[in-house]
Amino acid sequence: MIEFNEVTKRYSNGTIGLQDATFRIEKGEFVFIIGPSGSGKSTLLKLILHEEVPTEGEVYVNGFGIHDMDRSEIPYLRRGLGVVFQDFRLLPNKSVYDNVSFAMQIVEAQPRDIRRQVPIALALVGLSKKARVYPHQLSGGEQQRVALARAIVNNPSVLVADEPTGNLDPATSWEIMKLLDDINQRGTTVLVATHEKSIVDDMKKRVLCLEYGHISHDVQKGNYTNED
Amino acid sequence: MKIRTIKYMISEGFTNTYKNLLMSLASVSMVIASLLIFGIFLMITINLIFNLNQIQKDVEIDVFLKRDVAIMEADAIELKIKNDERVLRYERLSKEQTFYELVAMLEEDSRLLEGLTPDFLYEQFRIHLKDPADSEVFSNELSTMAGIDDIVFPQELVNKMSLILRWTNVGTVVVLVVLLIISVSIIANTIKLTVYARRKEIGIMKYVGANDWFIRWPFIIEGMIIGLFGAVSSFVITSYLYNEVEAYVNQEAAAYGISNVLRIVPLGTMYAQILFVYVIIGLVMGAVGSIISVRKHLNV
Repeated sequence: MIEFNEVTKRYSNGTIGLQDATFRIEKGEFVFIIGPSGSGKSTLLKLILHEEVPTEGEVYVNGFGIHDMDRSEIPYLRRGLGVVFQDFRLLPNKSVYDNVSFAMQIVEAQPRDIRRQVPIALALVGLSKKARVYPHQLSGGEQQRVALARAIVNNPSVLVADEPTGNLDPATSWEIMKLLDDINQRGTTVLVATHEKSIVDDMKKRVLCLEYGHISHDVQKGNYTNED
Repeated sequence: MKIRTIKYMISEGFTNTYKNLLMSLASVSMVIASLLIFGIFLMITINLIFNLNQIQKDVEIDVFLKRDVAIMEADAIELKIKNDERVLRYERLSKEQTFYELVAMLEEDSRLLEGLTPDFLYEQFRIHLKDPADSEVFSNELSTMAGIDDIVFPQELVNKMSLILRWTNVGTVVVLVVLLIISVSIIANTIKLTVYARRKEIGIMKYVGANDWFIRWPFIIEGMIIGLFGAVSSFVITSYLYNEVEAYVNQEAAAYGISNVLRIVPLGTMYAQILFVYVIIGLVMGAVGSIISVRKHLNV
């Protein structure tokens, strides 16, 4: 599903984003990626999304070789991935419904399927009643739920979330995490980069810990502070 | 690409133009400004070329026959002129006709001609060529024929006019092309501002898996809408101004009695062509401007 083989990412200014990382994530797993700021969490996710390419090593995502891939294939890679960001990244000019249906229009889905799938995705994140509302009229938690609906509407096999709760209060963060867990229960592989110690500790999922670009721990049912 | 995708892109283009109204208006006014400058230059050129052509059309070649020319020879010359494809029109003037023309031209001084008969003059051909630049070659060919006394045409004028016309044509093309390039880059820069304001949107589209053309098309359509609006507006302004100038100059020229020298061309049927040119330029400027502006932001 996702495989990193001795992957190193060096940026052009000399900074090392990731060093010698090797791991494998199987279909249906839920994985937290943790570590201090600058430890390489974002680099790891960017490699999966082909926002960056590895300097050395091999990265495979859903059968695409990120390290050796044609530019024209990128859209097809991304269509198999759902992405959620800390800052939500919704289209401000579009209603909640259009923000979600947009992801289906891009893959040229049948209008019939769009009309069926979008309400399901919105219902799943509990926003059925706000379909006609614009993003700026929503709370942070609601905006993130729209982003989640957009990420899952095409039934991606992998969902990547980069600090999805970074801008949210603890209670709302829990709601989002519960949703991610639900999505995972339905068979989607979920990767979450986060700083939220309490959430990681309570959810008892696989934890990949990064320090200075190295993978320092990789534990099943781990804690944020595993060495304790 | 599927029909519904095309529909989606067109409606996106219109929606975006409207939702970014301020930037759209800024871009439209840039199109108007560029096309106005372009239009003024185009109008000046059309008039310059028209007036130069008018002057050139008046150039004639006078072929004088010998006093004792045989009728057979004169007919042979006429046949040659008549069958020459370069000839626009010609007149054959008998000695009498030439004489009475002279009398008419001299008016009260015609008493100078008292006691003279048409016999002292020459039978003559007066020829207008399609292209006066051919005058020299044509005259040389004709001069080999028997019965011709002399061939006269304003060689200096013909040569100078051909030169001026040629350089005007070249100059026009060069200046118009340069103006177009400048206009496209100004418009590309204006559109760049709107694209920059929406670079996040482009980024989001890329993350969701949109391919480059899916992102580009709504922007291209937006650019074309802007170009179209700009083109039509500046056409309206240009044609209004032109009518005003035309009426004024033609009236003044008539008052000074120089209408035959200075005349503003009535555009008449040319309006449709000019509108067509404006619209094409507007659409192309908008589309090219959008493509240039979006390019940089697609590398996500």
